[in-house]
Amino acid sequence: MIKIENISKSYSRGETGVVDALKETSFTIAPQEFVVVRGASGSGKSTLLNILGCLDRPTTGSYRLDSEDVAGLSDKQLSQIRNAKIGFIFQSFNLLPRTTAIENVEIPMVYGDGHVDRNRAQSALERVGLGNRADHFTTELSGGEQQRVAIARALINNPALILADEPTGNLDLAAGGEVMHLLQALNKEGRTILLVTHDDAVAAYASREIVLRDGQIVSDHSQNKARSPEG
Amino acid sequence: MMLGILVGISSLAVLTAIGEGTKRETMQRFKNMIGTFDTIIVRPGGGQFRGMPTLVNVPQTLKFDDARSIANELAEVKAVADVQTAFDIDVKYRDRLSSPAVFGVSANWLALRSEDVADGTFFADEQNASLARVAVVGADVRKDLFPDEDPLQKIIRIGDVPFQVIGLLAPRGAGPAGGSLDNIVVIPVNTASRRLFNRDFLTMLLIQIKNPERGTEAAEKVTMLLRERHHIQPPALDDFTVTNPAATMAQMTRARNTLSKILTGVAVMALLIGGVVIMSLMSIAVSERRKEIGVRRSVGAARADIIVQFLLEAVLVSLAGGIAGVLLGWSGMQIATRILRLPQILVWQPFVISILLSLAVGIAFGIYPAWIASKVDPIKALRS
Repeated sequence: MIKIENISKSYSRGETGVVDALKETSFTIAPQEFVVVRGASGSGKSTLLNILGCLDRPTTGSYRLDSEDVAGLSDKQLSQIRNAKIGFIFQSFNLLPRTTAIENVEIPMVYGDGHVDRNRAQSALERVGLGNRADHFTTELSGGEQQRVAIARALINNPALILADEPTGNLDLAAGGEVMHLLQALNKEGRTILLVTHDDAVAAYASREIVLRDGQIVSDHSQNKARSPEG
Repeated sequence: MMLGILVGISSLAVLTAIGEGTKRETMQRFKNMIGTFDTIIVRPGGGQFRGMPTLVNVPQTLKFDDARSIANELAEVKAVADVQTAFDIDVKYRDRLSSPAVFGVSANWLALRSEDVADGTFFADEQNASLARVAVVGADVRKDLFPDEDPLQKIIRIGDVPFQVIGLLAPRGAGPAGGSLDNIVVIPVNTASRRLFNRDFLTMLLIQIKNPERGTEAAEKVTMLLRERHHIQPPALDDFTVTNPAATMAQMTRARNTLSKILTGVAVMALLIGGVVIMSLMSIAVSERRKEIGVRRSVGAARADIIVQFLLEAVLVSLAGGIAGVLLGWSGMQIATRILRLPQILVWQPFVISILLSLAVGIAFGIYPAWIASKVDPIKALRS
């Protein structure tokens, strides 16, 4: 599914010179894996997520998504990959204000084949348990509901890869648990999930844990998948 | 933010429509009155004179011989028509009554106006010479006297003199002052002079010149000749007035063009201000909606999609202003038409151009904010 080799990313920071966010990082993620990426702030987690999500390009190294090298692709081609293959879930939900739940879910369809199918958006909302909230404005929804709308939006074009950045960071325990259950179910359907978190309880859902420090992988191991959220 | 566009477009539309409309109307009215533009008019009396010269309100200074002399001695002149006009003459047919202007004219008058009769015939030189009592009537007179009869060959009484109707004039519409030019009866000028009015002077000469481009020169020649014939030595004042309608109209057109240039400038300024306002408000919208841009980029919007979205919004705003402006302009024009008593003008081109112009303003001033929107970094936008 994902293969990165010797990925580095550096930013120039004014007078102080260059900051290396990622250094010579390599790993492979197989289809249907549930991977959690952990690490302190500034360890390079977000940079890694942005590169994997085709929002950012590595300074050096290669990134193959579905064995396609993304390096040479144009803005339009990268946008099409984001649209068709990747679903993003953010810590701050990133729903559009003054817009209903179902309208948020429909946005990715605009940039696909351009055909907006309200029935499909409705089923996606039902899939996350919000079928009866379709016409509510996003500001009328609780945090947990907003994040589930965001998940429905990420799912609408049926992507194989879901990238989640602290998806439970702004939620209470119960709402966070619901979101993690949903992600676990999506993983069981066959979607690859890569999730960035600080939270041990969240990390426990994953089958593999990668730990970053100062832009490098310091630990990468499979963990006991059997560990259920309740135990 | 649409206000600038609205004001700009509406004033532009109104101004061009009114300008175009009045220009056409003025041309038409002058043409109605004098028939062609290659004509010089001479009337008796000097100085300012308003209204129609008639036998009772002009000095008796312009004679038949003056007309012959101009026709024969000036190389610039193609033809001269004699005109003797009287108002308020009763014209009767059986028990019906009309009070038209009576025009005694020479036989070349109609051709000189490049007009033709609508029905019947106009009289010829022989009929003029033999003092024939024949008349050609205008459309209004025909309506008054013969509402449901064929007027041809009928006998009408002008004053107390019987005349036979031999022709009908084609309708001519309104003159420069707005009145109808169809309320007339035309008879041979010699008949008018000797059998009807008993006056030996003329109220007007229509002089057709050979080269319309040199109207001013020809008018000068006519003036010199008449001064000589009337023994007038400047600084003594002329006892006649020569006018050159083409020159008069050109002057009026110039004055109006200057005015409409100034007003167009104002309208264009308003449009530009509207465009700049659209640009700055769209720029504000872009910075307020960075998160939305980030979201859209993350779910698959390419930079081009973002440009299209924001450009479309700017164009819609501008277009809405333009359409509102056209509506406002249209109503403004209706009001102006009433107040200024202009004729109903149907000019649609300015409105189409206005819509296109507002479209252009939207694109021109929307492209920069749209480009800025497309350059928003989705990563930063999503984290904020």
